[in-house]
Amino acid sequence: MSNPTRLYLSNDTSARAAGAGSLADAWADRPEVQLIRVSSRGAFFLEPMVERDGPDGRIAWFNVTPDDLPSILSGTGGTAVRSIPFLAHQARYTFANFGETEPLALDAYQARGGLAGLEEAFRLAPDAIIEELRISGLRGRGGAAFPVWNKWKVAQQAKAHPKYVVANADEGDAGTYCDRMILEGDPFRLLEGMLICARAIGASRGYVYCRQEYPAAAATLRAAIHKADEAELLDIDGEPFPIEVVDGAGSYVCGEETALLESLEGKRGIVRARPPYPAQAGLYGRPTIVSNVLTFATIPQILSRGGAWHASLGTEHSRGTIALQLGGRVKHPGLVEVPFGLSLRQVLDQFGGGMAPGSRFKAVQVGGPLGSLFPAAGLELPICYDAFAKAGAVLGHGGIVVYDHETDMVDLARHFMAFTADESCGKCTPCRIGSVRGREILERIQAGGGTSEDLALLDDLGETMKLASLCALGGRAPYPVLTAIEHFPVEFRSKLRT
Amino acid sequence: MHEQVQSILRQVRSEPPNVLKTLLAIQEQVGHVPVEAISEIARSLDTTTALVAGVLSYYPDLRVAAPGRHVIRVCMGESCYANGCGRVLRALQDYLRADVGESTPGGKFTLGTMSCAGNCAVSPTVTIDRDLYGRVLPSEVETILKRYR
Repeated sequence: MSNPTRLYLSNDTSARAAGAGSLADAWADRPEVQLIRVSSRGAFFLEPMVERDGPDGRIAWFNVTPDDLPSILSGTGGTAVRSIPFLAHQARYTFANFGETEPLALDAYQARGGLAGLEEAFRLAPDAIIEELRISGLRGRGGAAFPVWNKWKVAQQAKAHPKYVVANADEGDAGTYCDRMILEGDPFRLLEGMLICARAIGASRGYVYCRQEYPAAAATLRAAIHKADEAELLDIDGEPFPIEVVDGAGSYVCGEETALLESLEGKRGIVRARPPYPAQAGLYGRPTIVSNVLTFATIPQILSRGGAWHASLGTEHSRGTIALQLGGRVKHPGLVEVPFGLSLRQVLDQFGGGMAPGSRFKAVQVGGPLGSLFPAAGLELPICYDAFAKAGAVLGHGGIVVYDHETDMVDLARHFMAFTADESCGKCTPCRIGSVRGREILERIQAGGGTSEDLALLDDLGETMKLASLCALGGRAPYPVLTAIEHFPVEFRSKLRT
Repeated sequence: MHEQVQSILRQVRSEPPNVLKTLLAIQEQVGHVPVEAISEIARSLDTTTALVAGVLSYYPDLRVAAPGRHVIRVCMGESCYANGCGRVLRALQDYLRADVGESTPGGKFTLGTMSCAGNCAVSPTVTIDRDLYGRVLPSEVETILKRYR
């Protein structure tokens, strides 16, 4: 019998939800198939996608069903992966391995340039690592966009010991999934970034705080840590650097760095007043770097390719690439890694492929449940930190959700306020009480009992929450609500009691 | 149950003690955190009952009562919202005749929601125990639930 044909199929949670799991089950007993379970390219509208090696790179079949096996094996009807427009127009750096490698194959990670950043970090003095990050212009990818080198410098110069490195894998912003993809698909990249950080600041222990909604991510990461430990990678200058995965318990606000640290200590996930910042006094009061998964995963290539390489991508104040995650009513939902600077319209047209069949565009929300809404007229905005800041908006963690003509904006606004009321940690009054009152007002308007005074009240309440809340949950919660009222005033007014 | 909790408390002892980790470990094995065990847990972790009860009441995933045999959660995230999770939730409520937070008579299913499953590109999403379903249509709800005994 001839050798079985190697077929590549993603094992990512969303690929499985799209049917990759049942495909693997259907082909499990086929001797002519050798199924390799890789990460996902993030073109989820094409999943389940099956690939095989061709003379000129991988060839893919889209939205595959078990019955498609004969044509795949005979090589008919496939598309060259490099000619898929959704992928060909991206700049895949942090996500270069996606769809190519098995997530837990350390040798494949290394063969594709993995660990080169860590090797470089061992060659450099801690100051030189931080200098490379300063040159790179990297800003935290979790939402706050704080310069990474600055945080590291503070932690490095802090005298207290031990120091900690904490990866924030509590990707709670609805509409975002790139951290989940990294945890499930390229976990060694996260570990490498954490090790580089530990070497730079002199940390002796690492934690990954992983939300409980991501069971596959936590399991893959634990397996990756075990493999890295066996390969003696969890070691810095002869000292062990153990990394532990800690499970969250369903609280959104634990994605805020100080609430996350409280939760890591086993307490209620309540936001701490800052300063002191975690880099000065974080976990157990010790200097701690808390960064998002994507931030850590971006660092290895900054070391291996150089800070200047990273700074050469993007715009003046937004260097590098951004991982955008398209969702909602777009035709092509999925992961898009591009340099900063494209307009929202370019991203939605080029990558989103326009609207899902039967849908007409109404609004797009950028930056998760605390992000602003934009109508069609706002789509020329370039995707970079300063342009968004100027527009009073945030990029957050790069989630982009498109709403269609069927969306009831009053109900959507109520949905946002109800979310904050549910998730508020309760420490500060503007968020704890404000979100409940905001939800009540929107429920009243939705039920037909609101007046124009209620709209004025929402505006006033929103301004108070923006100015007086302790963290971004209360501070940002008014934005989607107020931008909904700003851009769709007729919908709100038509529901008011006359 | 008392002995089971005690044995878990011995296993998860850590330095410094960690209340959340302890409660998650108990829930993992018992299915929920019995309120009667709070003082025992506090003693074992050398902390107060108020602190343990505070952590227990804070986290949405910690339960003080056993859920149904299968826990259904409908994702209410923005991408799922845009793709009609409200209709999926209503279909589940109608079929199960249970509201969010309730269990069906006999305790087969408990219905709940979640704020995001990270499956936004294949939404709307429903999870049942450890299984995750994407692109769920209201009309598919019945077929999916029939797979669970």
